[in-house]
Amino acid sequence: MEIRVNPTRMEYNRLKGRLKMAERGHKLLKDKRDELMRRFLELVKENKRVREEVEAQLKSSFANFLLASAVMSREAMEEALMYPPAPVELAVETINIMSVRAPEIKIVQKQEAGGNVTPYGFATTSGELDTSIATLANILPQLIRLAKLEKTVSLLADEIDKTRRRVNALEHIMIPQLQETIRYIRMKLDENERSALTRLMKVKDIVRKEETA
Amino acid sequence: MLDTKYAYALGRIRVLETRLLDAGKIDRMVEAKTAAEALKILSESEYAPHLANLENENQFEQVLAAERSRIYKLLRSMLPETGLVDMFARQFDYHNLKVLLKAQKLGEKHYELLVPDVGNIPLDELLLAVKSGDFQSLPPRMRRAAESCLADFHPQLVDIRLDVALYKDYAALAKKYRSRFLREYFTYLADLINIKTFIRIMRLKHSADFLAEALLPAGELDLTVLSDSSEPLAALTEHLAKSRYARIVQEGVKHYRETGTLTRYEKLADNFLLQHLKQAKYVVLGPEPVIAYLLAKENEIKIIRIIMVGKINRLPTEEIRERLRDVYV
Repeated sequence: MEIRVNPTRMEYNRLKGRLKMAERGHKLLKDKRDELMRRFLELVKENKRVREEVEAQLKSSFANFLLASAVMSREAMEEALMYPPAPVELAVETINIMSVRAPEIKIVQKQEAGGNVTPYGFATTSGELDTSIATLANILPQLIRLAKLEKTVSLLADEIDKTRRRVNALEHIMIPQLQETIRYIRMKLDENERSALTRLMKVKDIVRKEETA
Repeated sequence: MLDTKYAYALGRIRVLETRLLDAGKIDRMVEAKTAAEALKILSESEYAPHLANLENENQFEQVLAAERSRIYKLLRSMLPETGLVDMFARQFDYHNLKVLLKAQKLGEKHYELLVPDVGNIPLDELLLAVKSGDFQSLPPRMRRAAESCLADFHPQLVDIRLDVALYKDYAALAKKYRSRFLREYFTYLADLINIKTFIRIMRLKHSADFLAEALLPAGELDLTVLSDSSEPLAALTEHLAKSRYARIVQEGVKHYRETGTLTRYEKLADNFLLQHLKQAKYVVLGPEPVIAYLLAKENEIKIIRIIMVGKINRLPTEEIRERLRDVYV
């Protein structure tokens, strides 16, 4: 389908400019999409790896937690865990991946390595709780990394989606439309030229006839 | 002179004992296909009244809490003086105090974690004491412990110091009753907890000073001497090879080395204590059967919890059975 325009030479030049621009934009966006895709696949692969690691450890931690909860009363369990042993402070910055603003989460302040992660006494708690909590404390940095990765992946996916839609819009709608319209104007202009020519020849014919007559 | 003070209570206890869950019922619970089915078996027992207003089986903790509260009330009502039950109820005072101290420090409320109606000190009174920071109204040992907790606050120290105070209370009260049975029970209990604490602290690689603070003073073992050993577990088994806990420690440590869990040890320790309680069956007059019944009931609650948690989370039957404690009856 073409765009409704006046088939004038000026319009023709304008549209040709637009077509050129669209083609350049299309190429750029396609490159962006490909690069985003490449980064995306890298991140997804890493994300999968980290997630599997975290999940395996969480699973073991939860299993221990379950066993601990079987031998402790609910109140005793929650009392044991109600006070966090050490605060963890996070700093969130944004980094730029192909103009996508992705988060960068860093642990600013963490309890010293091998620090005391068990905020409870020993007499009323089960041994399995120690293992569970220790595992959880160990995977915290990974968990935060995973959060960062997942968010980045989802932001990238969004951006890829948007870019792809733009590329497709340019490729399948914008550019064909412009081309079609240009062709239409070209034809119209040619047609006009030809009719002008014929008219001229006709006029010349008539003039010549009158002269001979 | 025969101690006839407890004669009435004893008569009733003997009846109540027959209503404890027996091995058969527990077996049926373990074999039940779903948590709901396991819970249904409880409706043939003393737990029946609490089951009435239960919406689903995940709320089974409510049943257990209600039953515990009922038992304490019942025992208090049948004894000539409630001191004996108060002694065991003291753990709930300490629990409440822990919750309140931590909640105060956090600036949050957490009242849902308090255990109401069982302890000796009314919750209002505790709450007031913690809010005002004035612990005058509390028993002296508890007061000192609470004050020292506030002096240098750390959540773990709160637990440790209050636990230590609780076990000192236990020991002091046991002495008051001049009951060898009771004294031994608390000694064994403290020792078994200390052995476990020792293993856990070694695993967490804490300092010897920390170990000394975390061990309960009420036991008869001195485990601080082992903390310098390069092979603490081996040193522990050797140190206790001639003690009454030799078998428990040996098997518990073996299982711990193989699997890294203290499950077996915890189970053996509970069974050891239960074995001690069973002596009370042959006591004709005296406070022992009352204590034994109370603790048997606590043990039963523990068993039900293990089964229910296992059933709700669909643990295999063998895995539940592996963790089950003996029964008193």
